[in-house]
Amino acid sequence: MAFERERILSEFIDAWNSGRRPDVDEHVARAPAEERAELAEELLAFLSFAPTPSYGEADLAAIRAEPIVAGALAAAGERGGLLPALLPRLRERCSLTTSQLAAELVGALGLPTDREAKTAGYIERLEDGELEPARISRRVFDALARVLRVPRGELEGAGDLSGWGPATAPVFRAGEDAADASRRHLELLGDALEAPGGEGRDEVDDLFLGGR
Amino acid sequence: MASDPDPLLLRRYADAHDRGEREQAAGLWQELAVNNFDRVQQIVKAFRFSPGGPGLPEHEWGSAANEAYLRVIAMGAGFRNREIGQFRAALVTCVQNACRDYGRRELRHDRRAAGSIDETFDPEGAAGPYDAALAAYDAELRERAGEAVESELSRLEAEQLVTWAIAQVPNENYREVLELTWIEKLSGEEIVQRLGISPDNVYARRSRGGKQMERILRGLRT
Repeated sequence: MAFERERILSEFIDAWNSGRRPDVDEHVARAPAEERAELAEELLAFLSFAPTPSYGEADLAAIRAEPIVAGALAAAGERGGLLPALLPRLRERCSLTTSQLAAELVGALGLPTDREAKTAGYIERLEDGELEPARISRRVFDALARVLRVPRGELEGAGDLSGWGPATAPVFRAGEDAADASRRHLELLGDALEAPGGEGRDEVDDLFLGGR
Repeated sequence: MASDPDPLLLRRYADAHDRGEREQAAGLWQELAVNNFDRVQQIVKAFRFSPGGPGLPEHEWGSAANEAYLRVIAMGAGFRNREIGQFRAALVTCVQNACRDYGRRELRHDRRAAGSIDETFDPEGAAGPYDAALAAYDAELRERAGEAVESELSRLEAEQLVTWAIAQVPNENYREVLELTWIEKLSGEEIVQRLGISPDNVYARRSRGGKQMERILRGLRT
């Protein structure tokens, strides 16, 4: 029986190394039932450190066309980075509505409970890609990470992707691409103008608009 | 045009980051992510909550892979290591965390399983169970830092964590098959011809040698 499992593992290794994009499920299903868990572990060990195959152009195009890849790469270029794609997934996986997440967040941040509605509004803007992640304080990322049980670095990184674009754009002597490059900064300015100021601004606004 | 090798992409990414060229760094990280999509997707399918235990239910594979892939791309904003072994270890940890997080939902009412999941959760860990092996590997790299190397490519190959790990496997027969499999990338049939041993022998040495290597990489040498 062990020979059968070892043979299937060997076939997976050969297929992987030659860039044939083998499928774990298909290989595990071919093993005797009592050997499947062990084969899955062996495959996982192999996949953990196996060198990436040298993919040809057609394979790379096929990978880029996979819905998960295409969606993630498109989202990474958006204003809110990956946060609008990632945050709702994490929230739904924790079986939380936006309001429930806001309540958890308010608790984690030590804010009064009457700030839940306003916090929920900011979460919705964040999920809709209408809030610049660079303006969100580290305290919020810390609290979100604790509530959603993910490393803070991944959440911050998802937001930081929006800042991977050109940092500045000259306003005078503009080149042909100045309009595109300036757009993000103008949107930021728009956010700032929209944000409540003076007496109407509270700690929730500072946490979501005050930057790190 | 074929994909650039991961070690080269990672070094270019790190160089671009060091120079402050963030847009270029983002592009290189995304190339790395594309190269490693199959790894992410297949790890989700192979993932098990405990040795010999259940994996994620099939209906969760797509969602878990989607979340894991987003988290891998997000990891790029803060990743600073230049070693491909560190990258792979961080990627595997990231994907396994995503799987565990999905499992937490599935197994919420199973106290025993939930306990084991919580024990392995490390919110800030990058390489997780591979930390000890990576530390030993880094120490050896530092010792070798002054040695001359002939080309960038040979240096990249020599510095691969896998190469180091294979060299630590005590059984010479296993080591020989692992080198032919992982470094020379020979197929099982080619190894049979090269070494003049039976196919079953090649399968067994790959499997058992792979287990030894995994234990070494997890820092659980016996």
